[in-house]
Amino acid sequence: MSRRTTSHVKGAQQVSSQGKILSKLGLRTLTPAKRALLALSLAMCAIGFIAWMYQLDHGLAVTGMRNSFTWGLYIAIFAFMVGAAAGGMIVSSSIYLFKLDVLKPFARIASLSAFACILGAGLMIILDLGSINHIVNILTSANFRSPLVWDICVITGYLIITALSVIFQMLPSWKRRGIFGSAVIQVWSEQKTVDFSATWSRRVALVGLPFAVLIHTVTALIFATQAAREWWHTAILPPDFIAMAVASGSALVLMVCMVASGKQRLEDHRLAFALMARMVAGALTVHFFFTAIELLMNIWTGSAETTELMHLLFVEYGPFYSSELVLPLIALMMFFNKRIVQKRAGLFIGSILVIVGAFVHRMMLLYPGFNMFPLSLNVPAAAQDAWTVPIAIGEIQPDGSVFTSFWHYLPTSVEYCVVLLPLGLTLFILLYANTAYNPKRDT
Amino acid sequence: MKNGMVIDLDRCIGCQTCAVVCKMHNSLAPGVWWNRVFTQGTDEHQTAVGENDNLQMEFLPVSCQMCSDAACEKVCPTQASYYDQNGTVLVDYEKCIGCRYCMAACPYGVRQFNWRDPRETKAEAAHETAVALDAGLATNEAELGGVDRWSFARTQVVEAACLLGYPNPQFEGAAHHLVYTQNRPRGVVEKCTFCAQYTQNGELPACVRACPAKARSFGDLSDPTSEVSRMLASCSTVRLREDYGTEPKVYYLPPSNRKA
Repeated sequence: MSRRTTSHVKGAQQVSSQGKILSKLGLRTLTPAKRALLALSLAMCAIGFIAWMYQLDHGLAVTGMRNSFTWGLYIAIFAFMVGAAAGGMIVSSSIYLFKLDVLKPFARIASLSAFACILGAGLMIILDLGSINHIVNILTSANFRSPLVWDICVITGYLIITALSVIFQMLPSWKRRGIFGSAVIQVWSEQKTVDFSATWSRRVALVGLPFAVLIHTVTALIFATQAAREWWHTAILPPDFIAMAVASGSALVLMVCMVASGKQRLEDHRLAFALMARMVAGALTVHFFFTAIELLMNIWTGSAETTELMHLLFVEYGPFYSSELVLPLIALMMFFNKRIVQKRAGLFIGSILVIVGAFVHRMMLLYPGFNMFPLSLNVPAAAQDAWTVPIAIGEIQPDGSVFTSFWHYLPTSVEYCVVLLPLGLTLFILLYANTAYNPKRDT
Repeated sequence: MKNGMVIDLDRCIGCQTCAVVCKMHNSLAPGVWWNRVFTQGTDEHQTAVGENDNLQMEFLPVSCQMCSDAACEKVCPTQASYYDQNGTVLVDYEKCIGCRYCMAACPYGVRQFNWRDPRETKAEAAHETAVALDAGLATNEAELGGVDRWSFARTQVVEAACLLGYPNPQFEGAAHHLVYTQNRPRGVVEKCTFCAQYTQNGELPACVRACPAKARSFGDLSDPTSEVSRMLASCSTVRLREDYGTEPKVYYLPPSNRKA
């Protein structure tokens, strides 16, 4: 009875041993293009792993970070993925909590996207550590006043919740396919499995939504609690992080859903996609509102510090910061347009703009954050308003200098390769999410 | 007991002796400075700032401010940064996971990360020195006894470079925290310890002993009869960026000419 697999996989034409394995893993439904993406994700993992080994062997000196700029691409990707993870669960939970039935076929994809992103984020932060051999101290000697420890707690909790959410939502599908040694659910009737799945998915959603908000709030608090960093030390940072999370997470889920449902079924889910696009646009509106207040407060204050901050934002990093503002703004206008949200290309382009904008937003958290050294003093005789005490770089530069007042951080090729490991892992799981989509079965 | 330091900026001559002696006693790798001295208002040391008849050249030595409410200690996820029984902020090199959160949190930019294995950096620097010596040697090889003898000496130079610092290879603070070792592990954060290896034996930090202008005083802030306590009672002092609420235990006596 349990080996009825092949007859239930739509489009199964022949029973070869390879076909059996593919359908067991749920990969039979993948088109050749998606299989190529799957291979790409595994290659990304392999390259990332090799790069990480290289970094472990040579130390973090292989990165572009130095003493005055201690967090770089890794932390930006970490914060970005935490945001995307939070957004995924917010979509998934809303379906149950706010009865958004039109999104129901995508509940599993949203949950899986959240799980994939939080797993990638957790992995990313581990790859950033200088002494991974001392990591056990987080468990044996945790300092519960550190926002980083709070973050570890909520991310671990979130990993469990999203995993449970995925498991509960996938149970009926797993029972039908007879995979994952589903010994327990095999004795249940199909109806009982579906009922159990629905009940527990709703229960997890109840916990999932506040937890999704919590993970990104705590991640923002890592930065916002730092009194010495002008750019981070604002109470608006956590709510702004949430707004950006809903935007980028929903955009990611939207893209994955569109890929999963394929071109031909776009018509079936037009309403669902339009709703997700509107969620993105709404979240972006809130984000721009927060950004505008923050900029206004800084410009109006006009102190030496805020003037320097504005100089960094609009002059030093002007082009980069502009792209953070302009790209999501274009997406915002696109997603509020009734005609564009009906079109596949429009939805894709808008989503990509939001995701790129969210990533630049994360990088721009770091650049003005680190390049405004907190130890600036007022020296009346000097021409400058505030003199910054230089910091020892940690190595002797080719020109012989050792101290600096500004660090031109650029990620090295090793950093770009290392981030492929968590990104590849996330992509791998997201592709698996394709198999979680089955329009005929979902009601 | 609460150890603190008072630095008299009127006495400081910007000679960098404290910075260099710190480097030697604590065996700092090239590029790493626990203590740094700058001329206020400029990145060019020993250069006056100002215009015409309003020139000034004042110095500012900055090392760990040994805050009583230290941002670094508060954010450290593993309690690797901690206060010892004298209120000194120390780093346990065996607990640090290298997340560098403390470096982002510290307002004073005094924390240094071991981006590489310090042994490698020191050996490379020593090797460069040896190569330079080699070049000089080639001109009078016969006089010094030939290349063979020198290649032995060159190994000694490299080894000696890794063994600079406090004579004992490592020093453990109370409760077996590894707070001093000649070569810190790669991937951990380090900083000024008020010379934990000396002060716990009742000796003064290297920078205090070495200052030719006697600009630095070190002692117990909780003892009203100590030199530092008397200075704090009789003079007006400032601390760096008190607005960050870190409550440093390093005090500065501002230059008197600014008050005039």
